[in-house]
Amino acid sequence: MKAAPSLQKRLVYGLTLGIALFWLAATVVSGLVVQHRLNQAFDNAMRETAQRILPLAVLDVLNRDEPGTPQRVAPLNTRPADFAYLLRDRQGNILLQSSGADPAIFGAWSLSGFATTTTHRLYGASALRETLFLQIAEPLARRRQAVLDATIALLLPLLLLIPASVFGIWLFVRFSLRSVRSYRRAIEVRGAGNLSAIHMEQLPAEIRPIADAVNRLIDRLRHALETERRFAANSAHELRTPLATALAQVQRLRHDAPDGPLQDRAIRIEASLGELSRLSEKLMQLAKAEGGGVLAEVPQDLVVLLSHVVQDLQRTARVAVELALPPRGPVRSLIDPDAFAILARNLIENALKHGAPGCAIEVGLSDTARLTVVNAGAVVAPAELARLTRHFVRGGSRTEGFGLGLAIASTIARGVGAELTLVSPATGRIDGFEASVQFIPDLPRRSDGHSA
Amino acid sequence: MRVLLIEDATELGQAVREQIADDGHAVDWVQRLDHAELSVRSTAYDLILLDLMLPDGRGIDFLRKRRRGGDTTPVIILTARDQLSDRIAGLNAGADDYLVKPFDLSELSARVAAVARRYSGNPNPRIQLGELSIDLSDRTIRRAGETIALTAREWALFEAFLQRPGALFSKAQLEVRLYAFGAEIESNAIEVHISHLRKKLGFQVVQTIRGMGYRLGSA
Repeated sequence: MKAAPSLQKRLVYGLTLGIALFWLAATVVSGLVVQHRLNQAFDNAMRETAQRILPLAVLDVLNRDEPGTPQRVAPLNTRPADFAYLLRDRQGNILLQSSGADPAIFGAWSLSGFATTTTHRLYGASALRETLFLQIAEPLARRRQAVLDATIALLLPLLLLIPASVFGIWLFVRFSLRSVRSYRRAIEVRGAGNLSAIHMEQLPAEIRPIADAVNRLIDRLRHALETERRFAANSAHELRTPLATALAQVQRLRHDAPDGPLQDRAIRIEASLGELSRLSEKLMQLAKAEGGGVLAEVPQDLVVLLSHVVQDLQRTARVAVELALPPRGPVRSLIDPDAFAILARNLIENALKHGAPGCAIEVGLSDTARLTVVNAGAVVAPAELARLTRHFVRGGSRTEGFGLGLAIASTIARGVGAELTLVSPATGRIDGFEASVQFIPDLPRRSDGHSA
Repeated sequence: MRVLLIEDATELGQAVREQIADDGHAVDWVQRLDHAELSVRSTAYDLILLDLMLPDGRGIDFLRKRRRGGDTTPVIILTARDQLSDRIAGLNAGADDYLVKPFDLSELSARVAAVARRYSGNPNPRIQLGELSIDLSDRTIRRAGETIALTAREWALFEAFLQRPGALFSKAQLEVRLYAFGAEIESNAIEVHISHLRKKLGFQVVQTIRGMGYRLGSA
């Protein structure tokens, strides 16, 4: 099955990606603004430089003995100069140039104002009624380097921001979802048969409607199950009393009737009523088994329940019903007590009906909650065993029974997550029939309140 | 024994009353719990047969109330509720036995006899009284292999003596045990039945304590 998407993971990745994209966009915009401002600042610096150099350079040229002779200014230090400049006359002859100034990088000598070549930013100004022209050149690489430095400075925090954002969002989402986790735990730890509403006052407003819907669903389920149980119980009651009346009256009739045809007829009616009673009881049991409600909200002690069932059957059984219980303590499982009694009773009645005459029925409950009912008798073929848990299927070699009893037991077992296993010959024997159900044992709760 | 039957289903109640009466017990039959309350206040019963679903309340509440009040009268529940939880609830409320409808009347008779024996302190249904071998479960008496037949009323009287050997019964006590409400009691009925018992089982089987009453003797 495909793993369900994690809300926490989605929020962490989504929010982090969003933050990173916003940061990058902000960096690009900031870079452009910085580049524009830097260009303005550099241009201002070039203009000011020109305005300071120009009077000095003109004075220098006018004070020369031979004004037309070009001169190069000696460098003040070994560091490469940020600017290069040239001073030319009206004919374009170079009168003065800074140290390292390459005339090739300058454009037209009569430039006034700013211009840009592929490698340099240029500024030109004139003096003495446009007889002397000064040009200043600044390498573009210097400006690019400044923009690059500023951009890197803006991007660097992103390296820290991404992991910090992942961790921070993860922590915050985890904190925000703690009530949802509590809700999940509340559902997980409750017993399988617990159909009471789940109370979660701390749930966030977005999740609360889901919890309310779940509670409404549980309520509807509980109502449906209770209605079905009430119906089964009431039907049983309404049907049993007239049956009891008819049976009692027929028995009185048989008692009062003289020997002869009337008494024989009363005996036959009594037998039919008995059959009708048993069939209606089985149908009621089947309705309960198939209608759900076989799980209990609280664990039941199978030892007590099985003892009651066996004690009850021992009164009327034609052969001994031997009961073996675990030596220590209760054996608990989440099964409805009445459903367990119906299951156990059907398995034992089946054994009584089909067991070899005079041989005891062995009923056992292990401390791991395994119920076993064994009877002596002929071996049942594997193909027949597989058919026995179907409704109204009787064992081919047998004259009666196997109609509903094992189907009811099997349905109840499935309802509590267990399985009815039929084996013939019985375990450790060469003959007989063994029916067993491994219930899910309910282990004692730990002291911290969590179910083990 | 004197038995109170609390059952609202008329036809069923009638059949049960006939069966218990045939077994030799005096039966009072009521169909409501308020009538049952009146009956138990006025009469000491040996056994109560109690239906659980009655028109004016639940039989189990009636039973709990009796037990809380210290009443130890044996109670057998007769009910259409067959669930194990109902059965356990009934037994926990103080019932001695539980019979689910529909039931065999013979099964009911056997349960009534078993509860009566349990309360008499002798759960063994077989009693040897001199030469008499008595089986309370199938109501047979044999002497030297021969079965002796008793009428229902003779048996009810004899069973009263067997349940409490050595106890002295006044004539009035024996009358109460024999007849249900409304049944006519002849003034010499007890003497007649005792006389029949002596003829069938031996003169010494019931001793007369002059001016006081009767008690079990030896066969």
